[in-house]
Amino acid sequence: MTLPPRLRVPAFVLALLVGVLAWAWPAELPPWRAVGVAIGWAGTALIVAATALIVREPRLARWLGGVEAMLRGHHVSGTLGYALLLLHPLALALDEALQDGGRGWAVLDPRAQGSAERLGWAALLLLMVGLASSFSMRLRWRRWHAWHHVLAAGVVLGLLHVERLLGDPGLWWWLAAAVALALGLRYLALDRGLTALPFRVAAVQHLGPQVIEATLAPLASPLPVQPGQFVLLAFGHGPGFHGCGEFHPFTVSGLGARGDLRVAIKALGPCSTHAQQLSVGTAVRLQGPFGNFLLDDEGRPESPTGPQLWVAGGIGITPFVAALRHAMPARPLTLLYLVRAADGAPFAEELLRLAAGHPLLTLQVQPSRDAAVDLPALLDRVGGLAQCQVRACGPAPLVQALRRVLAERGLPADALRAEQFDFR
Amino acid sequence: MKLLFLLSTLLFWLATGLFAWHDRAVAPRPMPQPPAPPAPAAAASAVPGAERRISLADVARHARPDDCWMAIDGSVYDFTAYLPRHPSEPEVIEAWCGREASEAYRTKTRGRPHSAAATRRMADYRLGTLDPPPR
Repeated sequence: MTLPPRLRVPAFVLALLVGVLAWAWPAELPPWRAVGVAIGWAGTALIVAATALIVREPRLARWLGGVEAMLRGHHVSGTLGYALLLLHPLALALDEALQDGGRGWAVLDPRAQGSAERLGWAALLLLMVGLASSFSMRLRWRRWHAWHHVLAAGVVLGLLHVERLLGDPGLWWWLAAAVALALGLRYLALDRGLTALPFRVAAVQHLGPQVIEATLAPLASPLPVQPGQFVLLAFGHGPGFHGCGEFHPFTVSGLGARGDLRVAIKALGPCSTHAQQLSVGTAVRLQGPFGNFLLDDEGRPESPTGPQLWVAGGIGITPFVAALRHAMPARPLTLLYLVRAADGAPFAEELLRLAAGHPLLTLQVQPSRDAAVDLPALLDRVGGLAQCQVRACGPAPLVQALRRVLAERGLPADALRAEQFDFR
Repeated sequence: MKLLFLLSTLLFWLATGLFAWHDRAVAPRPMPQPPAPPAPAAAASAVPGAERRISLADVARHARPDDCWMAIDGSVYDFTAYLPRHPSEPEVIEAWCGREASEAYRTKTRGRPHSAAATRRMADYRLGTLDPPPR
């Protein structure tokens, strides 16, 4: 019996945690010292798991339930591991302080300790600074990504701290190898694109202010993309264009016959803003595909048995465009397309043409002029809402509001699946 | 997760501050209790007021984790009470109970010495001088 996809990442983290604790369980130590040692090992196991989950390789991601599941596991495991590692020296200090005339600070003071303890302090401080920057959503992506390297340095120093204290390294070699492999794969293979496939920009269409759609033709193997999935794309150089070379996620908006892909690129940061000048003939590199939005557990397009409601906010329309270009719905489908008037409505004309020719597709394009959309009123006009399978793609506030309104109207929580765009 | 990060970091620094404050506020660590009465072989050479002299043979008789003496750089130490607090795994230090452990102390068997703080702390566990002294 295979594990359901949503349980695979938690199972991986739990297996690593249990395995490490079983090997390193402290014996014959005073109580608080034993607690401190066990907590230290538990924190180490969770941090190693979080590091392993940065390997954004498509087949591994599919096996672990999707890259979004890996990202969630990375966040949860990393933060929990950090919290445990903070408790580790405090428990050791408490053990010392409980002795007659004991001084807990003497255990914590890095000036009074050896190189092993100082490495531990350095690791904790790097993790602290790195995590603080990770939680700062106001940081631009490039700066945020650069600060993330501080976390990697903290993980490495933490492992050195453990190695200095162990008499027999034993399991430590496996943990160190796992971290080295994960960091190596991420920095060398993935971030530098050694495993990426080469494509070429075959056409560029401007869809509105700050949005283009690029058609990409494969120069080697095509990517086996399904509607609803996204790819990691790095822009290279072309006629009159020099790309930034960084990999960023873009949702596929169309699939061609010879492995051609169409991607929608909205100007959201320096790289995607510059890409609005993209020229035909530019070399690009692709990794993926990733994501399971609009797909079932086997990775095939969903086959709903009842009515559907799709809610798109702005450029979140892209996966729905890919799905409708691939196949028209076999069940009643309402597509609610929420746009800000200033942003235009990419793909709206094409969607209106598709809806006009297909009785099962109802399209409602709802522009707003910097005013909040009346979501409850819009949803109340959807026929058979209570029986709908709901899919949403857009900004987090829209998805949260949608979740709240659907709950108020009696839909179960699992009726809604939403696509997350932010990779932080 | 952000809330967990903020709360745990805040509590960590508060607790660290508390330990630092407590160490300044409490009385200094009491001197260790006088050692147990010397064994008959050592008592024969004991002179009132002189430091206790302990042979390697005597050290070797205290070679268990619950009764652990070591000879390090010409001094003899009773580390029995300290063993549970030693940072590394217990078997690392227990292997040297009842033995001359100077080289192990200087290198931790891996080419890295103990810290100055560890050397200062050792004095709390000193019993006497190794007899005869090492060359």
